[in-house]
Amino acid sequence: MNQYPGQDIEIIDVGMMYEGSAKPAIKGINVHIKAGEFFSFLGPSGCGKTTILRLVSGFLDPTDGKILIGGKDMRGIGPNKRPTAMIFQNLALFPLMTVAENIGFGLEMRGASLAERRKKAGELLELVDLPGVENKKVNDLSGGQRQRVAIARGLAVEPSVLLLDEPLSALDLKLRQHMRTELRQINKRTGVTFIYITHDQGEALTMSDRIGVMASDGTIEQIATADHLYNNPRTAFVADFVGKNNKIKATVKTIKNGHAVVETSFGLIKGLNPQQLSSGQQAFAFVRPEVISVAGSSENSKNIITCRVKNISFEGAFVTITLDAGGEDTLFMRTHNDGSALFPAIDSEIDVSFGQHNTRLLAGRGYGHA
Amino acid sequence: MRPSSVVLRVVTGGYLILFFIYLLMPLVFMSLVAFNSSTVPQVSPWQGFTLKWFGVLLADNQMWGSLINSFIVAFFVVIISVPIGLSASLLLTRLQFKYRDGLYAVLVSPLLLPGIIIGISTFLFWDRAFQLSGGLFTTIMAQASFISGYSMLLIMARSQRFDRIQEDAAFDLGATHWQVFYKITLPFLSPALISAAALAFMQSFDNYNTTLFAIGFEQTLPIYIGSKLRSFISPAMNALSFIFILFTLTGAVIYETLRRRELRNNSR
Repeated sequence: MNQYPGQDIEIIDVGMMYEGSAKPAIKGINVHIKAGEFFSFLGPSGCGKTTILRLVSGFLDPTDGKILIGGKDMRGIGPNKRPTAMIFQNLALFPLMTVAENIGFGLEMRGASLAERRKKAGELLELVDLPGVENKKVNDLSGGQRQRVAIARGLAVEPSVLLLDEPLSALDLKLRQHMRTELRQINKRTGVTFIYITHDQGEALTMSDRIGVMASDGTIEQIATADHLYNNPRTAFVADFVGKNNKIKATVKTIKNGHAVVETSFGLIKGLNPQQLSSGQQAFAFVRPEVISVAGSSENSKNIITCRVKNISFEGAFVTITLDAGGEDTLFMRTHNDGSALFPAIDSEIDVSFGQHNTRLLAGRGYGHA
Repeated sequence: MRPSSVVLRVVTGGYLILFFIYLLMPLVFMSLVAFNSSTVPQVSPWQGFTLKWFGVLLADNQMWGSLINSFIVAFFVVIISVPIGLSASLLLTRLQFKYRDGLYAVLVSPLLLPGIIIGISTFLFWDRAFQLSGGLFTTIMAQASFISGYSMLLIMARSQRFDRIQEDAAFDLGATHWQVFYKITLPFLSPALISAAALAFMQSFDNYNTTLFAIGFEQTLPIYIGSKLRSFISPAMNALSFIFILFTLTGAVIYETLRRRELRNNSR
């Protein structure tokens, strides 16, 4: 059912400086979002995600660069003339109208007849899995139902691009997880390009084809698929922001073949050097808690540290062990609960190891040694 | 029931009864006069039930003329004040501009001025600047100048509760600015617009102070009644008042019924 062909969105060198503001909300944004893609902008609040959405939808025009939709420059074209539809954070459904009137609103503005509008509303309510509520008032619906109505209303105008501004944040956890799957399915079923903005990495990682991680200063740190972002963060910010990570203060000693040896508070460790830091530079070594394990024998290619067990937190499927490595850093280690319940005792000393290829040495703005 | 709550009920009940007596007794007496056949407005001595004062009233051409004038003035005051109140409230709730407080002060200040001053100054202004002597037009101008302020305050109270993202949403869905206003903003504000229109009508209809000085040789109903009471007192005026009390009560009951029905619908 590819009735709404999505379109490419090219964001080229876009910067936005609000009037009266001293620094730009976003700058140097370059993204080519492909037709039909589910693309998320992930970043902390205030990083300019919403600005990007308002630029693409046409509520703002960029002060720098340009935005193309389907190859066409959008400058000066208002929101009502762009092939985009926005799902607002608070949904902004029209409370005085019924569900069908809400969904049919965009078509009504285009001069469609009542019969057409009702037919479309019925079809779209099927699509979002909420049939038969045409004549209800929106205030009589639950949060999740309202969500679906908002999506149906956006899709009714057959947009090439659907822009979603954290629409799931008001829902409870269970519904939120369900809606993630649902949104993803609607994206694939319709072929509409989705641009989603969120500060919730769980949402971004589970739904998106690609994710653009944004830093607080309004720049993009990395654009990648979810697994790539998690496994190969390019900057210290991404490593720190996406997923849980051990962050160890380090100074580069020697470098060799894409690897480096760094000095840390608990001795020398070896890891990947994707940023090609040079010796003497300050950086952080990032190690995921789940790649740390209790050291066995003959593990030459791994970093091995002797630690004292500070705390054990049992989470069911996983166990998180807090380790004191002697220095100023605390390590977290996360292991599968294999059912044996053989956890180290608190205050005991253990050797833990993690692979050199699982250790990434990264630096970046805001990541100096304090 | 505890003794203290019995006392409380008796005291509040008694107070309410006294309050309503104080409020309504004059109206009751005044209405009774309309049915007393005595030629002087009085209740006692009761000289027999009559409807003749209503007949006298209906035959009074001056009364009819001033009533029609009252409707004309009130109609135009509504037509002028509600749009001014609407645009001012939209401007004040949306835009942060330098002279915002100034504009607010200009619109509200006529409410604080004595009505006489508004009446006299409107009369003088049109007379001196345009050689337009007092009449219905100056009355409409004078009344609208302060009734616009009431309309603005009423409409502003509602427009402050408006979620303006709805306008963005409508605009995003392809509506023009005019369609956004007409389909989204106006329907939300319509209850306030209706209230503002009703209030403006009432304010205009029973205005005396301002009108007296602005109207010149014409008269609206309150001016006519005022002049009647000064020259020749007739129970026909009581008959007129009785009719107005009936209309007002009926209007209030209808309004309250509709309001409750709407509340019930909304709370569903």
